[in-house]
Amino acid sequence: MSKSNENIIVAEDLSISYDLHRERKKLIALQNISLEIKKGEFVVLVGPSGCGKTSFINAISGLIPKSGGSVKVRDVEVTAPGPDRAMVFQDYALLPWRTVEANIRLPYELQNLGLSEEEKQARVKNALELVDLVGFEKSFPYELSGGMKQRVGIARALATNPDILLADEPFAAIDAMTREAMQAEMERIVMETGQTCVFITHSIDEAILLGDRVVVISYRPGQIKEIVDVDFPRPRMSNSEVKISKKYAELRDHIWNLVKDEAMQTTRGE
Amino acid sequence: MAKVSDQIKYETDDPNRIQDVGWTLKEIWRRTRGIVVTSINLIIFFILWELATTYGNINSLFLPKASAMFQELWVGMTTRAPEGAVFSGSILDHFLHSFKNLMTGLAIACAIGIPGGLLMGGNKYIESILSPYVWALASLPRIALVPLFILFLGFTTTMQVTIIVLSAVFPIIINAWAGVKTTEKSLLAAAKVFGANRTQLYYKVVLPYTLPFIISGIQQGIGRGLIGVVIAELFGGSNGLGYLIQRSADTFNTAMTFAVLLLLIVMSLSLINFTRWLEAKVAPWRNVNHL
Repeated sequence: MSKSNENIIVAEDLSISYDLHRERKKLIALQNISLEIKKGEFVVLVGPSGCGKTSFINAISGLIPKSGGSVKVRDVEVTAPGPDRAMVFQDYALLPWRTVEANIRLPYELQNLGLSEEEKQARVKNALELVDLVGFEKSFPYELSGGMKQRVGIARALATNPDILLADEPFAAIDAMTREAMQAEMERIVMETGQTCVFITHSIDEAILLGDRVVVISYRPGQIKEIVDVDFPRPRMSNSEVKISKKYAELRDHIWNLVKDEAMQTTRGE
Repeated sequence: MAKVSDQIKYETDDPNRIQDVGWTLKEIWRRTRGIVVTSINLIIFFILWELATTYGNINSLFLPKASAMFQELWVGMTTRAPEGAVFSGSILDHFLHSFKNLMTGLAIACAIGIPGGLLMGGNKYIESILSPYVWALASLPRIALVPLFILFLGFTTTMQVTIIVLSAVFPIIINAWAGVKTTEKSLLAAAKVFGANRTQLYYKVVLPYTLPFIISGIQQGIGRGLIGVVIAELFGGSNGLGYLIQRSADTFNTAMTFAVLLLLIVMSLSLINFTRWLEAKVAPWRNVNHL
């Protein structure tokens, strides 16, 4: 992966909280998170449900306000969404009344990227090729399988040619077999485009296979527990050596030990 | 580097997977069985009715022959009252009066209800100001308002249309309102991430999402509106199908009463089926139940 030494995303003492009006309380989702992400890096966030992972990437995307600290993208404070950041959603979030192609073109209608019609067409075509959906331009999302829907979601995210790809558990709702294939596609796409990727998952295997770094986040308030470096050569998905290596098992065990207590805690509802 | 996608091919990606099977007898039957079964069902129903009223000991004052009903309907629908007649015995005249009122009422109800519901869903101040009135009037049985509107407007077409509007407008408001409120959060988030401003969120996401809800509202509005038509004409008026029901029953012309009831059923079902078709057309992603 074309990792450089230039920081593209810098979070400093980032805190995010939500008002719980009914209980007249404030839920602190993330507390004093500091993280630097380099250009071209693939960072995976893992942690128990409700630990604030989604809040973190929502703060990078500019969807939610922060309650403290700062998030900067290319040294500019994030205040709103922008075309340099795109997002892939867990439930695909495709507009059901639009065809695959019209869904991918949505970003062009919402913002002026200064592209000519030919450039737009070329980009849509390129995105469709990247996710292997050529021939399905005129299909509607409800006609597609879960894996195909998510590939439309990825193609839409690629349409703006973003520097940063944010992915919130994109494969959580996809069956196990399709999921492995999608992981391979994700790795390939990010390798081909050289994008920086911030990826949330509940799967430790997915985290190790995709991430250059795995950031383990603890439960309420969300804080960084440990950052684990993963240095298997890429592409990893098509390399069957990776998954059966001793190092893989050790990494897996290490991360599981980090999240185990937290996961147990959330199941007990503490 | 070898493209990973070359190694993994999904069955679902293969356009050749869908094969043309052409027309088979089974397929033709599958498509027409609904109409065929319903037609046979209805024919048997009317034949049994005819036999029961011909050979059974049934007073035709209470239940006329099916054939008498159809004859009354045919004659009533193919003749018009002569120019300047005080009272028309033609079903068609009354039908046109009621249908025109219903359509006018529905059009006004849509003109008020759709923007009203959208505004209530989109603005929490408008919502909190209007919602007590909407719920109060929506829960009030509309028939209770008829005497009041006769007092206000007399036995006029305006009164009849007003009753229809009041009957139809609330389901339209409430559905449009609910549509806006239930717009999926992730669709809004996606649009925001890809650069939508407030106006674009409304036009590109909320409105298309709400459209099938609005059509459902109109569908319910048609049902309520028809009740409004009949009630308004039964209570106050000298024309329309509601009036004709009353008049024919008063003059012991039961065949005419049944003919008008049948016409009301046909009209109502046609309109509701039209909106169902429309709903399936504009929102094929929603699995519309074909009841």
